[in-house]
Amino acid sequence: MNDVTAFPFPIPEYGSEPYWAACNEERLVMQRCAACRRFRWHPAPICTHCQHAGFDWAPLSGRGRLYSWTVITHPVHPAAVAKVPYVVVEVELEEQPGLRMISNLLGADPVDIRVDAPVSVCFERHPSGQALPMFRLVPA
Amino acid sequence: MSHSLADRACIVGIGHTEYSKDSGRSELALACEAIGAALADAGLPPADVDGLVKYTMDNNDLVDVARCLGMPELRFFAEVPYGGGGGPLGTLALAAMAVATGQARAVVAFRAMNERSGRGTPRFGQAPTAAGADGRMGYLAPYGLFSPAQMTALAARRHMHLYGTESRHFGAIAVTCRHHANMNPDAMMHGRPMTLEDHQASRMIADPVRLLDCCLETDGGAAIVVTTPAHARDLRQKPITIAAAGMGAGAWNHRFMVRDIDADASESTVAAKRLFAEAGITHDRLDCVYLYDHFTPLVLMAFEDYGFCQRGEGKDFVGDGARFRLPHGDLPLNTSGGNLSEGYLHGMQNTIEAVRQLRGTARHQIRGARHALVTAGNGVPTSAVILRADA
Repeated sequence: MNDVTAFPFPIPEYGSEPYWAACNEERLVMQRCAACRRFRWHPAPICTHCQHAGFDWAPLSGRGRLYSWTVITHPVHPAAVAKVPYVVVEVELEEQPGLRMISNLLGADPVDIRVDAPVSVCFERHPSGQALPMFRLVPA
Repeated sequence: MSHSLADRACIVGIGHTEYSKDSGRSELALACEAIGAALADAGLPPADVDGLVKYTMDNNDLVDVARCLGMPELRFFAEVPYGGGGGPLGTLALAAMAVATGQARAVVAFRAMNERSGRGTPRFGQAPTAAGADGRMGYLAPYGLFSPAQMTALAARRHMHLYGTESRHFGAIAVTCRHHANMNPDAMMHGRPMTLEDHQASRMIADPVRLLDCCLETDGGAAIVVTTPAHARDLRQKPITIAAAGMGAGAWNHRFMVRDIDADASESTVAAKRLFAEAGITHDRLDCVYLYDHFTPLVLMAFEDYGFCQRGEGKDFVGDGARFRLPHGDLPLNTSGGNLSEGYLHGMQNTIEAVRQLRGTARHQIRGARHALVTAGNGVPTSAVILRADA
């Protein structure tokens, strides 16, 4: 099936299933090294900071700041035609400097979007059923 | 004997097809035509070529190319990953290493694609429409982040925030490349002048990246012949020495083109690190520069990463771009129009123009040009060379 009315759903892989499963429970988790206690993103089999193999899936607060953002106005995917303009953000999570993920910013007027603006996570269901972590601006 | 690559290989042939929106022939035909033109330029019979290097993403099969052109004995074949980052000069670096170590005597690097018409190669500006995304794209595509332009927008926004860079600085680069394309009848954008006002009025693709910040999409082929200085003496053209060559990648590159602007290092700083020392020159010796122009913000960042200025000073270095424009600029940039306005052969055509300048045969010749820096796409694992004309 090729449902081009939606952006692609994420295909969980070895090592990333717990992340997507937690999203479906509306929890944002990331791998945290058992040795150096640092988070890493994306999922990786060993710590990208100290190369230790042990880790747990640790919960995150879901709070962070906008590292960068773009309003996409030119659709390059069939599903984007009905969605433009939409906002793609790079969020730096509060737990660790440099811990950044890509997502969408929901419900914001582009004139209100600023680098460093505080955001918090929410979850939206993809048509496939997978919940995706997305973000909203935290009201001042 | 030197343990570096410096001075142990040279470019002896260049060739390309026309650059168009629809070539009307196969990618294999384009490759054969471009390579044939480069070999004719060199005065080298195809049967004397014993090495071929391609971009991994090039659809052509090396032995199919060899069969068509009549290359009976290939002793060296290789390909370089990462598209327009690894390909344009990584292929030259491999070719140079092969001839410098005696693995092959004459090696051709090439790129051929029907990228604009889509006949063989999917358009890079269009996202694949598979229902699911795996690997690292699984963390981007569900949010509608697909294209290099969109990823570049995130880096450009951050750069603007940190350093006060403005859209007009990106525009200065676009205007420069268009200016040079209008001096080049082979350029796709010849006859279509562009002002900064045109740039500022062009529609947003992914804010702050505008349409005129983006490279073209092109059908065509381009090829370069590399051999040793000793063999070059028997050939037709004045050889252009590969004074230094390198690749660069790092941990920042794991998220495709979502750059880490706050990091001091990048793939380009890695590639740049030894390049100038290996070539034995400083920046002020460069007569012209060819910075891979997929998206104008990344050209500005390349000036910073290759040490023309400090990080964050790109906006002042670029200014209104007048210094980059022929005939009066002190640092001519992408003098045939670049990926932005000549044609998008994944940077291969920038190297070809650099060779023309150093041979002294360019359409708009920089008097006495002796050294050129040529870089490949940044924001992805990259490659670069310094070329030199010897007296």
